[in-house]
Amino acid sequence: MKDDPIYKDRRYRINELREKNEKMTSRERTLKAINFEEPDRIPIDNWMVPEIKKRCMAYWGCENEEELLAFLGVDVRDNYGPSYVGQEFKKFDDGTVADLWGVRRKIVTYGKGTPHEGTFKEVAWSPLEHMTSVEEINAYKAWPTPDWWDYSKVKAECAYWHPEYFVLNKGDRLDRTAQLKPMMYLRGIQQTFIDLAVNPDIVECIRDHVVNYFLEYNPKVFGAGGDEIDMFMMGDDMGGQRGPLISVDMWRKYFRDAFKKYCDIAHRYGLKVMYHTCGDVYQLIPDFIENGLDCLQSLQPQATNMDIKRLKQEFGKDLSFQGGMDIQQVLPLGTPEDVKKMVQYAAENAKRGGGYIFGTSHNIQADTAMENVVALFEAYHEYGVY
Amino acid sequence: MSTLEKLSEYVEHGKGKEARALTQKLLGDNISANKIVQEGIIKGLDAIGEKFAAFEAFVPELMVAAMAATEALEVLRPKMTHGTLHKTLGTVVIGTVEGDVHDVGKNIVAMMLEGGGFNVVDLGVDVPLAKFLKEVKYHEAQILALSALYTPTRLAMRDIIEALKKEGLRDKISVMIGGAPIDQDFCNLIGADGYAPDAPQAVKLARSLLA
Repeated sequence: MKDDPIYKDRRYRINELREKNEKMTSRERTLKAINFEEPDRIPIDNWMVPEIKKRCMAYWGCENEEELLAFLGVDVRDNYGPSYVGQEFKKFDDGTVADLWGVRRKIVTYGKGTPHEGTFKEVAWSPLEHMTSVEEINAYKAWPTPDWWDYSKVKAECAYWHPEYFVLNKGDRLDRTAQLKPMMYLRGIQQTFIDLAVNPDIVECIRDHVVNYFLEYNPKVFGAGGDEIDMFMMGDDMGGQRGPLISVDMWRKYFRDAFKKYCDIAHRYGLKVMYHTCGDVYQLIPDFIENGLDCLQSLQPQATNMDIKRLKQEFGKDLSFQGGMDIQQVLPLGTPEDVKKMVQYAAENAKRGGGYIFGTSHNIQADTAMENVVALFEAYHEYGVY
Repeated sequence: MSTLEKLSEYVEHGKGKEARALTQKLLGDNISANKIVQEGIIKGLDAIGEKFAAFEAFVPELMVAAMAATEALEVLRPKMTHGTLHKTLGTVVIGTVEGDVHDVGKNIVAMMLEGGGFNVVDLGVDVPLAKFLKEVKYHEAQILALSALYTPTRLAMRDIIEALKKEGLRDKISVMIGGAPIDQDFCNLIGADGYAPDAPQAVKLARSLLA
């Protein structure tokens, strides 16, 4: 950490609140929360785009990300799973790079020449998009296998954070346990929606390839991690801004069985399950609970029906939550005062009896002013205390 | 059930092949393209739009309905471009703003606008500001429809509206915006003329902007 007085001043408020409020380790705190007990303060998870991470490190005088998270009082540490040792991901002349599934991505720059300039990796080519039969899809040469990973370092990498921090095994965005997402990457989003409406055989075929891969892969990861993994996270985006992207019946028809299997495997290894989805999935929550989900993340308050107060009242006995901080309007467009009110609202309505982890509704985006990021973390420590 | 009603059912249920064949037959029976659009295609799209609003239909069903409408329109297009049989409601230039490559929502909106009787010029994704201006002028569009999925990319919408003002075009065109991070507050903030949360409502909005 840099010692200049300016950084000390900027860090003062958070340090002061933490000293006053914290009476346990991050791991103890988060374990209590997901087991529906009240810890000393609400645990904190953190999702940021790299541009914001960089700005935060510069603002608070942190030399690296580890220092930043430690200073901010972030309790959850991400584990990305085993190391990839399969064939090298192919680079193409058009600048795209293939991933685990053979899906090619390119880098797209936004906000060119503005203070919020940044980049996203976007799908540029979906290998199964133009295939028309199950036979063709089965014959696809690049279906991945769990043998492409080296699991030997998972345990040590998780143990690095123990006993201080809470370790969440979440994979990275491209190989996170899921069903619909890899299907969309492989087949294209639009074609996937068409398939869901009119090509059930193709949906089931791609889904089975994806699901069978994860059913084999996850036990290897959990087995390798042993007691050093605290929670498992999977994710799919089933919600849009105003409701689920697909009907509850369709979810049950295509995605329920594997959702349950994914949860069951984690439970067999003594792990609770966190599930990421964007958007409004209110209609699906009873099914999520029935099929084994422990923690729903990352609540998106601007989506219809995802108000944390209501969710806590209706489902808070069976389900814990992570999220609730709006990255669509309040963080990029609001004032620090708006940010504080948002944190206060979530804390007041979700903290009772544990079962809540602070978090943003997705990565804090590059269009967010630093003063709002500061307000967010200061408010976490101000309002999170039990 | 009349043949036109049958067509609207095919569109509503996303049966593209059947919609195309039936449109061909209707033309053969000397039904005007205008009537086919109004009483067949638009009716079918409005029906699926209502189901979508009531959570009886979701994105997959909306997508295939919009595609079926597009298939039927393909058959009508040669008739429509002659201009005598079918008059469009107006021209919409649509695209996803620069830095953003998401097109699923935008595509459904474009297809439903076209099925809804508009002439639609779809510029695709990651569209630079200058291209929007150029195409709006070239096509003498009445509506500019902008889409974005991310919050940092949506700021390009504000820049486009400012550029329209500078070019003296702002009074001549309505700007409608949409995408996950767009709401009425953001619409007001940047001075757009309207926002719609989904494709069926985008069609209603476009109609109201030209009313």
